[in-house]
Amino acid sequence: MFLAFLKERGRLIMDLSSLLTCLDAVMAQADVAAETASAAAETLSDAAVTAKALIKAGGLIGAGICMGFGAIGPGIGEGFAAGKACEAIGRAPENAALLTRTMLIGQAVSESTGIYSLVVALIIFLTVR
Amino acid sequence: MEISAETWELIGRYVGAGLALGFGGIGAAIGMGMAAGKANEGIMRQPACQGAMLRTMLIGQAVGGSPSIFALVIGIVILFVKMPLSGLTLAAGAVGAGLSIGLGCLGSGLGCGWPAGAACDGLARNPGQSGKLTQIMIIGQAVGQTPSIFATVIALVLLYVPAALNVHTGWVVAGVAVGAGFAMGAGALGPGMGSGLAAGGAVRGIGCWPKSYGVTLRTMLIGQAVGQTPAIFGMLLAFIMLFALGGRAVGLVGFAKTLGAGLAVGFGSVGPGIGCGHAADSGAEWTARQPLHGAALLRTLLIGQAVAQSTAIYSLVIALVLLYGAG
Repeated sequence: MFLAFLKERGRLIMDLSSLLTCLDAVMAQADVAAETASAAAETLSDAAVTAKALIKAGGLIGAGICMGFGAIGPGIGEGFAAGKACEAIGRAPENAALLTRTMLIGQAVSESTGIYSLVVALIIFLTVR
Repeated sequence: MEISAETWELIGRYVGAGLALGFGGIGAAIGMGMAAGKANEGIMRQPACQGAMLRTMLIGQAVGGSPSIFALVIGIVILFVKMPLSGLTLAAGAVGAGLSIGLGCLGSGLGCGWPAGAACDGLARNPGQSGKLTQIMIIGQAVGQTPSIFATVIALVLLYVPAALNVHTGWVVAGVAVGAGFAMGAGALGPGMGSGLAAGGAVRGIGCWPKSYGVTLRTMLIGQAVGQTPAIFGMLLAFIMLFALGGRAVGLVGFAKTLGAGLAVGFGSVGPGIGCGHAADSGAEWTARQPLHGAALLRTLLIGQAVAQSTAIYSLVIALVLLYGAG
């Protein structure tokens, strides 16, 4: 009888201990899961921050290249127009006013691609800031 | 793979010296060759003045070759001389200095070829005017050297002023140094060529019409001065990035900001420099032809140059927005 009682008690203890072991295991797994989750969250936010920084960096360099190379063309073209205007005034000084006006109109039109570059550079900058 | 500080230093020194001499010699060589070609053409037309022609050619080549001597000196300094920087900072400074002096001397050297060639041409037309021709050629070439002097200053600041680069850390050092190098180097490229074009036009004008010396000299100097402005923008931005940034630039974004600003002002000065020079070329030559209408020509020249400068101003504005804009 007593043996049976002991067996019962034993089984109960065994059950309890196995229950405790199970609980332990579950808690441990939960801990691990929590750690993984937080690590994943950190990695995700790191990756998110780095991606944002990369995009911003690319945008800033792009804006610089855009305005930098975009200023080459109008500079050379408008200078050429001014040069030819000087030559024309040298040949026919009495038309100086007309020649200057035509030069300014021509230069204003050739400025247009420079304005495009300026606008796009500002758009890029304001989009990534 | 871990790269030690000494390795970075050596990499930077070699790349910087390569940039300095690789680009710095191009312009002066082309310019000196132009002078030699025009000298031969002049001797073909007037064999009697070969002595004076050779002398004028050599003087023109000597003054026009000095940017390449600057580049050689700075290149040897980058390679061998001890500097108050170390590690990655030294590498970045060396590459920036190499870009600055290399691209800067390209423009000035190329520019100085045109007045030398035009002087030989004018000597063939008017052998008695060698004094005036040599004088205006040297003045024009001297003003055309100014951008390469700015470039030398920035290269020396990058190498020898530790306070400039040591405030920043990591990526940003590379951005500041390379950005300043591009800003001054490419920024001196256009105006150097432009000032040379202007001097070429003036010498060509005096060669054909030596009597208008005073008016032509004035127009040339004013035209060259306006054409130098983009180089001054480049130097201004280089100084701002080196000394006035404080803690605004950090990390990858700081690297991108400074590099982008340097590219914007650097390459943005190429076109306006060349264009204003071309305008001053015609202006000076036709002022020599028509000295009585010098005032009207100068007025149109200045208006035209002012409009041609506008994209250089846009570039400076974008660069300042990139550096100082919030975010």
